[in-house]
Amino acid sequence: MSTETKTKQAADERGFLARLQASPFLSDLLSNRLAVGGIVIILAMVAIAIYARFGALIGIAPDLQTLKTTQLGTNPSLAPPSAAHPFGTDIQARDIFGRVLYGAWLAMKFGTVTVAISTTLGVGLGIVAAYYSDITDNIIMRTMDVLLAFPSLLLALALVAIFPDELGLWRAVTALTLVYTPRFARVVRGAALKVLEDEYIDATVALGAKDPRVLVRHVLPNCLAPITVQSTLNFGLAILDLAALSFLGFGAEAGTPSWGLILSNGVKQGLLTGEWWWSFFPGLLLAITVLGFNLLGDGMRDALDPRMRDAVE
Amino acid sequence: MFESRLRLVGSALAVGLVVGAGGLVFAILALGSVRDASETMFVLGALAFGFGLLGWSGSILAANSVEAMQEHLDAASGWTEQNSRRAMARIGSFGFGVMVGSAVATVALGGV
Amino acid sequence: MVSKRFFLKRLLLLVPVLFGVATLVFAILHLSPGDPAKVIAGQRATAEQVAAVRTELGLNDPIWVQYGRYLFDIVTLNLGDSYIVRKGVPVLTILRARLPVTLELALYGQLLGILFGIPLGVLSAVKQDTITDHLTRVGALTGISVPIYWSGPLLILLFAQFLGLLPASGRIASAYDVPVYTGLITLDSLVYALSGGGFGAFQSAISHMLLPAAVIGVYSMALISRMMRSSMLEVVRQDYMRTARAKGQGAKITIMKHGFRNATIPVITVIGIQFGTLLGGAVLTETVFGIGGIGTLLVNAIEVGDYPLVQGTVLVFAFLFTLVNLGVDLTYSYLDPRIEQ
Repeated sequence: MSTETKTKQAADERGFLARLQASPFLSDLLSNRLAVGGIVIILAMVAIAIYARFGALIGIAPDLQTLKTTQLGTNPSLAPPSAAHPFGTDIQARDIFGRVLYGAWLAMKFGTVTVAISTTLGVGLGIVAAYYSDITDNIIMRTMDVLLAFPSLLLALALVAIFPDELGLWRAVTALTLVYTPRFARVVRGAALKVLEDEYIDATVALGAKDPRVLVRHVLPNCLAPITVQSTLNFGLAILDLAALSFLGFGAEAGTPSWGLILSNGVKQGLLTGEWWWSFFPGLLLAITVLGFNLLGDGMRDALDPRMRDAVE
Repeated sequence: MFESRLRLVGSALAVGLVVGAGGLVFAILALGSVRDASETMFVLGALAFGFGLLGWSGSILAANSVEAMQEHLDAASGWTEQNSRRAMARIGSFGFGVMVGSAVATVALGGV
Repeated sequence: MVSKRFFLKRLLLLVPVLFGVATLVFAILHLSPGDPAKVIAGQRATAEQVAAVRTELGLNDPIWVQYGRYLFDIVTLNLGDSYIVRKGVPVLTILRARLPVTLELALYGQLLGILFGIPLGVLSAVKQDTITDHLTRVGALTGISVPIYWSGPLLILLFAQFLGLLPASGRIASAYDVPVYTGLITLDSLVYALSGGGFGAFQSAISHMLLPAAVIGVYSMALISRMMRSSMLEVVRQDYMRTARAKGQGAKITIMKHGFRNATIPVITVIGIQFGTLLGGAVLTETVFGIGGIGTLLVNAIEVGDYPLVQGTVLVFAFLFTLVNLGVDLTYSYLDPRIEQ
């Protein structure tokens, strides 16, 4: 037995966390400056989101109700950025700084939900497709391929039309979940097939292990890396698409401090009359956040085992 | 060749017919109205039928580019024109079966 | 060469594609919670009025009869009249006026994307892992990360509000009344200028087009340059290149020149597939710049539940998308001799 296989075996026995540390993935990733930049951006946004949401509970940040209701009489309307209102105020005299910070919470929350649900669905479909090959595989994967061929924003628009308006942002989340699931299914199937090709799975199957056990114990853990990469890349896209749907009027209900909606109002009501701050700041935070996820995702993909890299587009 | 295609479409169609008719009964129990149930089943069938039809023709249309691109990028995802066409033919025929099955069952139950 | 038979076979495939899309639209609209009869009758209508509209629309017929009638209407190009957005106007008339607007925008955007994206991608690949490569890659990543509905307003702020160089919205200054020939405003105003109407309208049309086209163009450029880079590097990595590469950096560049044609092939496919994304981008761009194309039309129609208009617009989108990919497929078959026809 060569040294290499010995090390691999030892690593296998130490569990996932230890394996991650032993793998070149993490060190590769951390030596990539762009990816580290992405991590810093994401951590900063998470901190902002937590401050806005939980700060409201203990009174160091404005609560959602204050951010939603008009502040005419309390604040000046359409005031440019100042010390009191760093991002200015909107037509209803609401503090844009507070609204944009709370928007970070909404973006993180709904982005997480979208990615989490589509990852779960995608993992299920992808693993089933990889394991029960032939007709099941073919029908699942070719359906995913056709769905992937649809332009994502237009597909999301079509799906949004099916769900009732009362759902608010959840309507957009549901539509986007369906749009994103195929991407995960594809990655997971590709990764799972590579794992299944490995001999030890054959050995386990030969020993008579039941299907679900093989899937959960052996296939899934080995697919975690590509799944994580795909989730990271799609997190940015999810935030972007959610904001786009809000921008077009199919997302958050009026008054909600979501980035897309503030931007939409800022562009439609404030851009041509000179209130640039109204649309500038929500867009800035949105773009930075998405860039953070894209930088990290790209770096993770480069650090991935080349055999798995193919599966992630 | 022709026979195998016929078998593929036929079996999916048969399954669709049964699901369409059976599903209608369930839908009536769930929705309480033959009319609503009939519309729901038919429309769900149409969803699969339209999807299959679009996917089937799209597969042929995009075959060259997709296959060659995979070859170029050396990243085969198992897509071939043939297996895509077959999958879509199954889905489409199934959907059509559901449409016909639910319609026939509606008439049989006197729902028109 | 592309044979006539090959071409006809592809063209014929448009029929099942559109049949499939039409069926999908039928299904989706019937699954959506809105009631067209209520939409038409208006919010204050009584139950009897709504019932009368239902009968008139044939919504009481069995669903398969409705489906058959729907397909028949589409085949005979009877797409109905708009319910709300432009009440009573035939959908076909609305689409005919709005389609060129979006088409023009997408065309210029795509052109900019190709013109800048391909050279940038090649540059990035040739100078792999140098500072030029890193800058180009980060630039492309930023281009994808920045949403159109933010970069658009930024450009408006810079060029229209602060510098006052370019107009912020619309397609042409309202002072000009250019006769409609093609519906493509830059072309129409050029024809108008050449037939003695003066170049003022043409200038105005071009200056209105610059910002929205740039917004779409940057996005498409980012996608294309990324694809071009990886495709070029892939070509270099291939076996027959490996030998040449061993001869040194100079040889690598020579090889890349030869590899260029091979590398463009997958990029062309991506351009076709990304055309749909571009149409999605056009929806957002039109909203930002107040341009009335089919993108804003679709959004309005979905918002108010103008079903015939939604149907018509989606069909047009699907038709365009398929047509572009058909064109891509033909270009592709022309470039890649291995494809049998």
